Amino acid sequence: MSSIKMFEKPLGMRDTFPEIYEKLEQVRTIGRQLLHARGYEFIKTPSVEYYDTVGKASAIQDAILFKLVDSQGNTLVLRPDMTTPIARVVTSKLLKEKIPQRLAYFENVFRAQQQEGGRPAEFEQMGVELIGDASVYADAEVIATAIELVKAYGIESFKITVGHAGVLSTILSDYTESTEQAKKLNELLVQRNYVGFEEAVQTFDLPKTKTDALLAFIEEALSLSSIEDIEKYMRKNDALNYMQQLWQILSLAGYEEYMAMDFTLSSHMSYYTGMLFEVFAEGSGFPLGNGGRYDGLLEHFGTNVGATGFGLRVDRLIQAMPTQVIETDRVLVLFTPDRFTEALEQANFLREQHKQVTFQSTEGLQDVEAFKAHFPVVNEFMSKEV
Amino acid sequence: MKELTIAMPKGRIFEEAYEMLIEAGFNLPEEVEMSRKLMIEIPDEKIRFILAKPMDVPVYVEHGVADIGIAGKDVLLEQRRTVHELLDLKISECYIASAGLPNTKMSEIAPRIATKYPNIAMKYYKGIGEQVEIIELNGSIELAPMIGLADRIVDIVSTGRTLKENGLVEYEHITDVSSRLIANPVSYRMKSERIQDLVKRLKKCVD
Repeated sequence: MSSIKMFEKPLGMRDTFPEIYEKLEQVRTIGRQLLHARGYEFIKTPSVEYYDTVGKASAIQDAILFKLVDSQGNTLVLRPDMTTPIARVVTSKLLKEKIPQRLAYFENVFRAQQQEGGRPAEFEQMGVELIGDASVYADAEVIATAIELVKAYGIESFKITVGHAGVLSTILSDYTESTEQAKKLNELLVQRNYVGFEEAVQTFDLPKTKTDALLAFIEEALSLSSIEDIEKYMRKNDALNYMQQLWQILSLAGYEEYMAMDFTLSSHMSYYTGMLFEVFAEGSGFPLGNGGRYDGLLEHFGTNVGATGFGLRVDRLIQAMPTQVIETDRVLVLFTPDRFTEALEQANFLREQHKQVTFQSTEGLQDVEAFKAHFPVVNEFMSKEV
Repeated sequence: MKELTIAMPKGRIFEEAYEMLIEAGFNLPEEVEMSRKLMIEIPDEKIRFILAKPMDVPVYVEHGVADIGIAGKDVLLEQRRTVHELLDLKISECYIASAGLPNTKMSEIAPRIATKYPNIAMKYYKGIGEQVEIIELNGSIELAPMIGLADRIVDIVSTGRTLKENGLVEYEHITDVSSRLIANPVSYRMKSERIQDLVKRLKKCVD
């Protein structure tokens, strides 16, 4: 390997330059205001956790965790997501104080990149967790919050696709002959490989009715106009009733236009036990984020109270946001040493008016004209002798 | 109607897929001038084709600059990008196989495998418990066993003529390959109606 150059950063790590920093701050402020107004309390957890607790419980694949070792020889991880640390702190402490908990975060998470060095390995995530409420209203609230949040950023063209792990697993197990077959089909859906799904169904040698049903399901699953359409594939059960209720609540709240049903939606995260959803917006080629009910994760930490939430990727949010010119009132106050006090007075006056004032002596500049060119407004206090 | 950007591999696959689209009832000009153009606009159908190297089609689609694309299964298996695989177009059907000089055994220690598809080859040999050394080449893979660079090659086979002409025989059939219609996950939702319609119409032409 060639030696590391002085300006190099570890793979996938990025500097945040002032312009992007301002945008991040804007995203943070809007997000914080909205989530705060909806009763969510912000929380921060450590960047580093034990591998045996958070690392193993996290749904993020082991291969992309950043691992380190502490002085006692314990393996540590840089947190790969926020849901797992929040599940840890909530089950160990917060739920004893109040239940349910509504928590929000805006934090950086770490996931090592193997492909294409330019992809970020550390990025900001914003999201909420509603823990301790197993009702359908909690799921509805989380989806509504995701919709409101996306709208708050001025993104108009977006879609939330909602599925249910229970509905999918019922269909897959009803129409296959073994759990291996159902598992195989589920894996193919996680990869969104519909061609593979159809091929696999054909090779299973199932009775014709089952084969036909599975193929029809996969063809129709994305163009369903109502929950009732899925009923022909399965007997009435709790999962289906749940989805009906969820849809009804969100329609009553006026969110139907942003939502689409997708019962093929499946996640590699095995702790998603119920409703799950993904957020897509025009302008970003990648999903903005995802969420769902993850009662399974809380069980891992020894509590059985129900939890639901979502997370959005801030970098993708910035991509999808309409470009706004951030108004800056930048003023340069330039002075020669003999007029220092006068210049200082003017600078302080401008600062009181909430202008962003750069106070610069000509003595420190190599090229005065080039520096001046960076500012829309320049107040000069130059020596009168020249 | 939203505009649809389709990434197509240059060359024979483009022509075959283009034919299929016409057959599926899309109002496309019979003759397209594709000499050196990289982009073709079809305003009538609100479709834009971008012409890319076959290996690059999934890249355009993954990043969402193309909504859908046509890519060989070999490329999809090799690159494992996050795209939705919607339809097997059953064009340019072939397969990936291992081949080598006739009547040869693989070296006992770590047989060398020359290939354009290092990931596919690695996965295959791992799967059958062989320890191998992968040598990545960009073309004329058949040369490798002939001049002793590798014990086996892993490459795409359509008629088997190239193998025969170079005195190689096929050993193991690894996987079947054909062209697939792929979609960007976001486009798949945001332009769901257009993409579903296209899939439905193409599906009729495939069967």
